[in-house]
Amino acid sequence: MRPDERAFRADVSRPAFKLAELEGRWRLETIAWPHAFIAVKARDNRLPTLRFELSGFPDAPPTAGLWDADRNGPLAHHLFPKKQGRVGAVFRTDWKGGSALYLPCDREAVQGHDNWRTEMPSKIWRPADGIVQYLELAHELLNSRDYARPDQP
Amino acid sequence: MKDIDIFYQVEGVPEIQHISAPPEETLAALKARIKAKHAIGDDAALFVEDDDGDVDDAKTVGAVATPAGAKLHVHRCRRVLATVAFAGKLLEHKFGPGATVARVKQWAAQQLGMSKEDAGEHALQISGTQDRPTPSTHIGTLAKCPACRVAFDLVPDERINGAPAA
Repeated sequence: MRPDERAFRADVSRPAFKLAELEGRWRLETIAWPHAFIAVKARDNRLPTLRFELSGFPDAPPTAGLWDADRNGPLAHHLFPKKQGRVGAVFRTDWKGGSALYLPCDREAVQGHDNWRTEMPSKIWRPADGIVQYLELAHELLNSRDYARPDQP
Repeated sequence: MKDIDIFYQVEGVPEIQHISAPPEETLAALKARIKAKHAIGDDAALFVEDDDGDVDDAKTVGAVATPAGAKLHVHRCRRVLATVAFAGKLLEHKFGPGATVARVKQWAAQQLGMSKEDAGEHALQISGTQDRPTPSTHIGTLAKCPACRVAFDLVPDERINGAPAA
């Protein structure tokens, strides 16, 4: 097993991750290295799945995008959360084809955004906090007032 | 019966901890195990998350557990003074060390007359730092004995690239 996969498997065994699973905030679906599929509970009880790409974890930040588990492919854009407010700013369909969340802790999003390191330091990837940091941000957004289910369910 | 998952936080330890306990184990016995594991002083007390009162040590683990397990805290301080600075105002209140950051923020928002929506646009940040503990963090992990206090600033939660309000 590669060191990054070993580190990720240890990370999802930590109590903070397990507690959130028991409380229904998110659920690890499967690991197919270098990917992991984690469903995050939204305000309307939907469980959108994030497909994480985790090469180099935890030193390298993860990147994740919405995934359609039934089709085993990226989620169709019309099924993304409604584009509004801070949710629309992160779950974007008009950037990188919707393949990554526009979050400072995302590997793809942080590239070219050095200003985020000073403007939003609390959202920059922290290897010691692990995948819970990314999931906490995603969960908060999906449970904020700006979240609404897609127009075309 | 099946052992119960105990998720607990401890004075001076930033990360959530886990231990298993049989439902019939007393909280006194559980507390002793946790104190031994983390080398905490004999004067430490056990708290249930977001319950400021001292727990009855004679109770069993099963009596305080939920289907997801039990969430506890061990700390030498019986109360932690939390201060929250916002827009020139300074709020303060004493909570049990097992109070979550989410509860302190909710309390502060109420004191400031903030709507739930406005509160959602703000976060608690430890004063003098850029650290924003997660909502489930117990304030006892941020407070040391004998000071038994923690200072927060209530700050706007930045929108990515200034996303407009919904």
